[in-house]
Amino acid sequence: MIAIRDLVKHYGRFAAVDGISLEVHPGEIHGFLGPNGAGKTTTLRMIAGLAKPTAGTIVVNGHDLAADPDAAKMSLGYIPDRPFIYEKLTAGEFLAFHGALYGLEAGPLEARIADMLALFELARWKDELVESFSHGMKQRLVMCAAFLHRPRALVVDEPMVGLDPRGARLVKGVFRAMSARGVAMLMSTHTLEVAQEMCDRISIIQKGRIIASGTVDEIRAMGGGGDDRLTAVFLRLTGGGALQEIDEAL
Amino acid sequence: MTVRPFPHLLLPDLLGARNRARRGERGDLRRALLFGGIGLTVGLALYEGSYWVTGHLLDYAELGDYLLRLGLSWLFLTFLSFLAFSGIVTALSTFFLADDLRLLMAAPIAARRLFHARFARTLLQASWMVVIFLAPVLAGIGRARCAPAAFYGAALLTIVPFSMIPVAAGTAATLLLVNTCPARRARDILVLMGLLFAASLVILLRMIRPEQLLRVESLPDLTSFFASLQSPITPLLPSFWAGETLFAALAGRPDWVHAAALWSTALAAIVVLSAASARWHFAGYSRSQDAPRARFTRLAAVAPLARLLPIAPVRRQLLIKDLKIFLRDVSQWSQLLLLLALVLLYLYNFSVLDLQRIPYMSGFLKNLYALVNLGLAGLVMATLCVRFVFPAVSAEGAAFWIIRTSPIGLGDFLWSKFWTGFAPVFALTEALTLAANRFLGVDPVLEAATSLAVALLSVALVGLATGMGARYPRFGGDPGQVAGSYGGVAFMIQAVLLVIVMMALTGWPASVYLLRQIRRAAAPPPVWPLAALCAAAAIALSLWVWLASMRSGVRALERLAD
Ligand SMILES: Nc1ncnc2c1ncn2[C@@H]1O[C@H](COP(=O)(O)OP(=O)(O)OP(=O)(O)O)[C@@H](O)[C@H]1O
Ligand SMILES: [Mg+2]
Repeated sequence: MIAIRDLVKHYGRFAAVDGISLEVHPGEIHGFLGPNGAGKTTTLRMIAGLAKPTAGTIVVNGHDLAADPDAAKMSLGYIPDRPFIYEKLTAGEFLAFHGALYGLEAGPLEARIADMLALFELARWKDELVESFSHGMKQRLVMCAAFLHRPRALVVDEPMVGLDPRGARLVKGVFRAMSARGVAMLMSTHTLEVAQEMCDRISIIQKGRIIASGTVDEIRAMGGGGDDRLTAVFLRLTGGGALQEIDEAL
Repeated sequence: MTVRPFPHLLLPDLLGARNRARRGERGDLRRALLFGGIGLTVGLALYEGSYWVTGHLLDYAELGDYLLRLGLSWLFLTFLSFLAFSGIVTALSTFFLADDLRLLMAAPIAARRLFHARFARTLLQASWMVVIFLAPVLAGIGRARCAPAAFYGAALLTIVPFSMIPVAAGTAATLLLVNTCPARRARDILVLMGLLFAASLVILLRMIRPEQLLRVESLPDLTSFFASLQSPITPLLPSFWAGETLFAALAGRPDWVHAAALWSTALAAIVVLSAASARWHFAGYSRSQDAPRARFTRLAAVAPLARLLPIAPVRRQLLIKDLKIFLRDVSQWSQLLLLLALVLLYLYNFSVLDLQRIPYMSGFLKNLYALVNLGLAGLVMATLCVRFVFPAVSAEGAAFWIIRTSPIGLGDFLWSKFWTGFAPVFALTEALTLAANRFLGVDPVLEAATSLAVALLSVALVGLATGMGARYPRFGGDPGQVAGSYGGVAFMIQAVLLVIVMMALTGWPASVYLLRQIRRAAAPPPVWPLAALCAAAAIALSLWVWLASMRSGVRALERLAD
């Protein structure tokens, strides 16, 4: 599980994340929604250990990230928003490297890599340089890497960007299977259909603060009845009234 | 809709530079002072040097004139080849590989406008170093010859077309290359061309045999030596025109013929190139994009070899990854190859060096060379470190998140970088020192002392480079740029200081020892206590530099998350 408490991140004097607390339980998919620049990526990067919180605590599967980063990271998978990988390694080499970072033994690792590549439909590309991969292929490869060590918690930043419909369905399937096995998952997304369809709970973040949190149904109810599509609720909560002006501006 | 003139397309570069200057990063002032100071020193040295040489040539009247003219032609010929080569490389990145092309090519920009903007950028990028180098040299010559003010104007009006011609030629070569083979492959070819260029320079040097100049009895041959230089100079090359124009201007005569040749060729080159670019640039750009399945070496032997090493599995994986990435990058290992070639040449020079000609002193001199050798090995080491070890952390680039989110300590990571760098640097420089000392027949005691010094230096320098590379990383820059960044220069300065200290710590007891040997004096001063003291100091210093910079490097990596 992932538990964060009073998390704050300042860039200079600007507070990108301003006191966020949330808990993601085993088997739960927690949607992390919010407009551009709300602080989603910043929060997820802190959980992944890429950025240091200005204040607050992060506990991953019972390990405090600040006190025992290695143990916390060992049980965490991270899928970044932009899949930067070593361009000069092949997919297979990259996964072998990544698996070894997490202490997997060579023999089982080989088999696990084959499974993962097959699962994400990349087996054909195992011996190609990452350099030659498309954005979506890199994204799938990063996911292979994230699942390689069987993490018990997963942090995902915009998983659907760049995936084709088949890939998107595949990823949804994989995520569901993972949560059925008790993996705690925190996922930021802009695709509200995805959130509606997959998430057990949702937190909406704006200007670094959580402004609404609850199950999908609870969030819908916050819209005040009537229109029960998540989009409308989202726009109302995050101040989307300005959308009307688009017509005038055009 | 108004079409803005092409300099508008240079705006992003200018704005980027301005923003960078405005933001005022940490160490900006220091860097400016550092680079400015180095530049000023080098400029002054060039100025004084050329003033001094030209002044002395005045003593030789006609011969001096002749030599000056020859010298100018040679200077420009060297720059001509440099500019052409640098034009090829720069054009490849500005015209075909730059990231912002994705934006520009998608925008409705006329081909010619794009060409002019990119060419201006290529020209500036490829030639600023040459201009900065030439200016003080020409100023020195002008002062020594008491040249009229028109000379400086002529110099300006000569350098501009003189740099335009080879850069245009280089751009044309790139255009051709990219249209015949995809840019990634073209980059590999360019690297090989660079190697050939360097190799031919080396062969040229060997043919001229500069060591002949050192022989006392061959001094009267000086003129024949210079005559041998004259052969490659053909009146058809822009370098000759530039030399002649300037030489004439030195005496206050305008040389319209050669000046006109320069300008007309330069302008014609641009017109032709602009047309060629309008016709072929897009095709080449498009080709340069689609090289997805570039061939690459599988390097299957790396992993089994690494398994033989007695190291922790995680470190072994880091090593395998680094090795594969390094070996698959042609532009990386080919530079190493080039460095190796230079080292071999250096050794070869020792084998032809004829010290026996100098009577009485040969014994002392060759042992003195052992020290010079140590200094040179130290410089080779510093170069290797700044080019290959210092950028090691930056090389992780945008993929560094993989290491940082994994359960590996950053200390483990940095130490693996250290050992990966240390093994080759130590092996190469130690072999170099041992071989050179063998060729010279150095005293065994001195041989042992220099070997120890080299071992200590490599520990200290590789550690310093690894640590400083972690403290001043430039994620995303290519290794050459990383080496030239503030941290790289700062490393170089500290490295050179360290080499000097090491030479002193070896040289002091060594010279006492040698003098005793020569004078066969059994009397004091005793050498061994001094030697032991110096050795202890050297060991302590190296260990301290090594461990302290590694520690501060690890701490800097940990601070990256702030
Ligand atoms: N490295 C940084 N330095 C300074 N400010 C930053 C940095 N990274 C992010 N920010 C700022 O922090 C805020 C939150 O950014 P973040 O990337 O977390 O947004 P996000 O919610 O992921 O947005 P998006 O939906 O566009 O991905 C933004 O205002 C951004 O400008
Ligand atoms: Mg984001």
